[in-house]
Amino acid sequence: MSLWSAALLVLKKDLQIELRTGEVTVTTGLFATLVTLLASLSFFIDEATARLVAPGVLWVTVAFAGVLAMGRTWSRERDNDVFRGLMLSPAPRSALYVGKLLGTLVFLAVVESFVVLEVGLLFNLQLAPVLGPMVLLLVLGTIGFAAAGNLFAAMGVRTSARDLVLAVALFPVIAPALLCGVVGTRELLAGAPLSDIWAWIKILIAFDLIFVTAGILLFELLLSD
Amino acid sequence: MTVRFEHVQTRALSKVYGPTRALTSVDVRFERGHVTSVEGPNGSGKSTLLSLLGMLTRPSKGEIFFGDRAVGKSPSLRAAVGVLGHAPMIYPDLNAHENLRLFAQLYDLPNLSERLQLLADRFGLGSWSDRPARTYSRGQLQRVALARSILHAPQLLLLDEPSTGLDVASVERLVAVVQAERERGAIIVLVTHDDPLRDRLADRRIKLAHGRVVNEEAEP
Repeated sequence: MSLWSAALLVLKKDLQIELRTGEVTVTTGLFATLVTLLASLSFFIDEATARLVAPGVLWVTVAFAGVLAMGRTWSRERDNDVFRGLMLSPAPRSALYVGKLLGTLVFLAVVESFVVLEVGLLFNLQLAPVLGPMVLLLVLGTIGFAAAGNLFAAMGVRTSARDLVLAVALFPVIAPALLCGVVGTRELLAGAPLSDIWAWIKILIAFDLIFVTAGILLFELLLSD
Repeated sequence: MTVRFEHVQTRALSKVYGPTRALTSVDVRFERGHVTSVEGPNGSGKSTLLSLLGMLTRPSKGEIFFGDRAVGKSPSLRAAVGVLGHAPMIYPDLNAHENLRLFAQLYDLPNLSERLQLLADRFGLGSWSDRPARTYSRGQLQRVALARSILHAPQLLLLDEPSTGLDVASVERLVAVVQAERERGAIIVLVTHDDPLRDRLADRRIKLAHGRVVNEEAEP
């Protein structure tokens, strides 16, 4: 079985469970809404301040919601020791990583679409002119963040300190992606054209390539004793 | 690709976890059509041996051969192994049929629908099996887990405490399935503290202590 066929099976299974339970999208969606709401109540002073604060709120919300989503989605593999069952199958083991990564991207895309609307509404931002480049930043940032995050979350399946691994070890690693996302979004909201944030986009693309490749290559090695 | 082999053999198999020696130079051979029980106190290396045979763990030293093929060089041999443990290894939010279909697809099995129907009939997956697995009793869970472990007709079947928490009827079903697998020609390795189960099933017994084989004997 090819890596892609097996990864799509894992993705299909995650979507099937999510459609049935709504566990990941509902919990992370509510959490994200709470964070944006509290941040808007705390930091909204005037429109100029809001434009400066909103990028940070957006990316902090995405990062925290992402950690929550990845923790939830990997906890499904721990229940009944089903992860062991998947590792026993002849499917390429890195397919499990790719499938979980794709699932995370779908879940976060749903949550982020709400978060962007909420941040736009609560911080009174004119998002329409910058929506395209902002979505590009979010897509690239989320791919890199989820690629690194799924690797750490997978390692957490076999350790009792899984939350510590995900929270403490992940954030220093994903800091470059978050920084690029925050700065790029801030520049966009200040009126910069796409060409001005191209450098940040290139860094995000490089980050994504490095972590997706590392995830596929290292997954089996990191999960073996 | 169907891989066939007559025996599984370990040669000088050792496994070290940090400062702990879990297995030390273990040489054992498991034959086709035989149930071999592996015994020993907690920490004697039984679970480590099963993990190594199931290719979930890599040896620190030594090798495992499926027939004349070294396991380390042929990861595709995973398709020849089935594992039934205490944990059922099925998704609680999927029902029995969805779980079995997923694993059958991961094993890339042909004639999927026909094979799954045969399994459902053989294991008596009635109307209860349409509910999510989280609602199953221990016996029902183990029934689905048993079906999952043999759906690809493995040549090496590893059983790790398979009777824990089962009632008499479920144990009888387990015994019948293991005997059928032995008749089919599977190589079966059984780790259990359930003496009556071991006495009924084992053709041969291997005793481990402190990660070493200390005794090997055939059942009378």
